[in-house]
Amino acid sequence: MSGIETVKIIVDAEKEAAKILEVAQNRASEIRKRLDSMIQEQREDMLRTARKEATALVEEGEQKGKVEAAAYEKEAENDTRQILSRASTRKDQAVTKVVETVLGLNA
Amino acid sequence: MSETSRFTEDILSAAKQKAQVIVNEAEAETERALEEAKAHSAKEAEDIASSARAEAEGVKRRQISEIRHKLKIQEQLEKSKILNEVLEQARKRIMDVVKDEGKYTPYLADLIENGVREIGLGTVVVHLNGTDLKRIDKAKVERDIGKKLDRTVKIEWSKEPIETAGGAVISSTDGRTRIMSTLDQRLDALESKLLVEAGKILFGQ
Repeated sequence: MSGIETVKIIVDAEKEAAKILEVAQNRASEIRKRLDSMIQEQREDMLRTARKEATALVEEGEQKGKVEAAAYEKEAENDTRQILSRASTRKDQAVTKVVETVLGLNA
Repeated sequence: MSETSRFTEDILSAAKQKAQVIVNEAEAETERALEEAKAHSAKEAEDIASSARAEAEGVKRRQISEIRHKLKIQEQLEKSKILNEVLEQARKRIMDVVKDEGKYTPYLADLIENGVREIGLGTVVVHLNGTDLKRIDKAKVERDIGKKLDRTVKIEWSKEPIETAGGAVISSTDGRTRIMSTLDQRLDALESKLLVEAGKILFGQ
């Protein structure tokens, strides 16, 4: 092999190496270019899921509130009924007390 | 393999290695950026969830608070109704006492005596309603009061009947000083006290 042939082979190899590097650089650029849209897509996915969960949480809160309010209402109505029933049995005693206080005597 | 071949192999091998490093770096850089963005988005998502949890708790509390308020008002209305019934029945019973001469006449005499004592004058004017003016034994009352107070008291019985269910108004002759002892006035004046006392009996433990 002559010296010229040897140099040519080496120059060709250098050209091929440069081409390999150029392809790699282009691929790296492609990867970086996709980054913004990937981040945006990832963010939208996460926020969409979070909003969906948030809606479910608020609905769940409403349901829990309704259930607790209904339980409270039932219990409080029962308490009130007892208070009013007890008051009805004490009405005569209260009337007597009022009459005594107004007249200042035992009615 | 010739020297030239080995040399070109080395050049290409080095280029491939460097190319791989370039791609790997880009991928690692992207991975890092994605992770950072993910952490940031996760924070945003957590803020949304946190607001939702607070809103859910608020909604729940509001519903309970509304029902509690509604029931409290209902209970107060029911209690108020019973208290008014008690006052109404007490009024009726007081009217029954007024009709019962045996009970009422001594009571009226005591009221007049207390009024005369309180006003502290030698001559007083006593105002009664029409029925009491007719049925009271004026001379006896005047005499009894004089004895009880241990002094002479001159009572002028006003001929103008007053509008009241019972009781008396004792005044000075010039009308400037008045002791109001009518049942209506006592009911009005004592109403808040009566409500408290009746409430304690009705709704106390």
